[in-house]
Amino acid sequence: MKTYPLTVVTPDGCRYDGPAVRLVCRTIGGDVAILAGHCDFCTALGMGEAHVVTPEGDIRSAACIGGLLTVLGGRVRLIATTWEWAEDIDTDRAKRSLQQAEARLKEPGLDAQTLQLASAQLRRALVRQSVAAARR
Amino acid sequence: MPASMKEIKLRIKSVQGTRQLTKAMELVASSKLRRASDRVEHSRPYFETLYQTLCDMAAADPTLQSPYLARQSGGSTCYIVIAGDRGLAGGYNANVFRAFAGDNPDGQICVLPIGRRAVEHFERQGIPIVSRAFAVAGELSVSDCFEISRMLCGLVAGGQIGAIRLVYTRFVSMLAQKAQVLPVLPFIPPAGKSAHPMLLYEPDSETVFNAVIPEYLAGIVYGALCESVSSELAARRTAMDSASRNASDMIDRLSLNYNRARQAAITRELTEIVAGADAGGV
Repeated sequence: MKTYPLTVVTPDGCRYDGPAVRLVCRTIGGDVAILAGHCDFCTALGMGEAHVVTPEGDIRSAACIGGLLTVLGGRVRLIATTWEWAEDIDTDRAKRSLQQAEARLKEPGLDAQTLQLASAQLRRALVRQSVAAARR
Repeated sequence: MPASMKEIKLRIKSVQGTRQLTKAMELVASSKLRRASDRVEHSRPYFETLYQTLCDMAAADPTLQSPYLARQSGGSTCYIVIAGDRGLAGGYNANVFRAFAGDNPDGQICVLPIGRRAVEHFERQGIPIVSRAFAVAGELSVSDCFEISRMLCGLVAGGQIGAIRLVYTRFVSMLAQKAQVLPVLPFIPPAGKSAHPMLLYEPDSETVFNAVIPEYLAGIVYGALCESVSSELAARRTAMDSASRNASDMIDRLSLNYNRARQAAITRELTEIVAGADAGGV
């Protein structure tokens, strides 16, 4: 299979730097898959599961939350706010975060900002849980 | 008449105590500094790539319309000022405030101080403060930076803020830190950038640009915060190192004085004995 250079960077450091066969991730407009030879492309990322197929044929999945995906001259850069490989996800933390978000959403008289923050927290926790659960 | 031996001894003890303290602070700063400079190293590729992409986007499409590209008329200039939580770091905090004072924008200004020292400083100066929620610079995480960015982007979109400038300290090296002002918004791509006119945007360049700017702002605040925290620790380490050295010098000088005083006391005693013996007519 043809490969292309892929770099995944987050504020906490580089998460992946090497050749890849396929990258699938969720953008603000839905899921996209990038294969070798893709035209120059740019989009913003949403929240969801992403996976990378390595030249060895392994499929590594990760929770990918927010950021930017660019393809320039065959080089793919994924600049994510959060990128956690399935094996690195702290499921207990995700569970706690989910409970916390649910509890906050149940409170009466939420203002718009709290509602937005709590629902974002809920979605992040759900993404993490589903990525970690899919691995098992 | 030199100070008495007892007085000098007490001074030596107190300076030794101070030296112990400054030495401990220096060690704490150096051990934290290693972690902080690692964080700076790790975060740099993220911002460089992000900035590069935004420049490409703005350069590729000159017709791009976004509230983040042009200055909003009527809005004030918001300064994000990152200073330390504590003093005892040489000129670190003072340099940041001097850099802020040296920058003269048109129109009204407001500040978003980060770090306890910054909050205190601007409260004293009576400059309008956007939020006091981010007073502890050492404990801010990526998610706090995203919250700052969300809040500021809301104000920019609402027209209350016309421009955002960031005052922080760049970590040049372990020995050199530079306080500087960085214009963040409106986003001005550097001239003469090579554009990629055939770039495909999904769904369109405006949506992507507007979705990415808050990320960029959060990223830049986080990057500046990492740099500032490292700079603060480096400045504290240098300041504490020279304080420890000064304390050692002082102890040396005081020990010399102490020995002189001791010698003088012995000599005096001997002279008294000899004089007493002479007077006794032995």
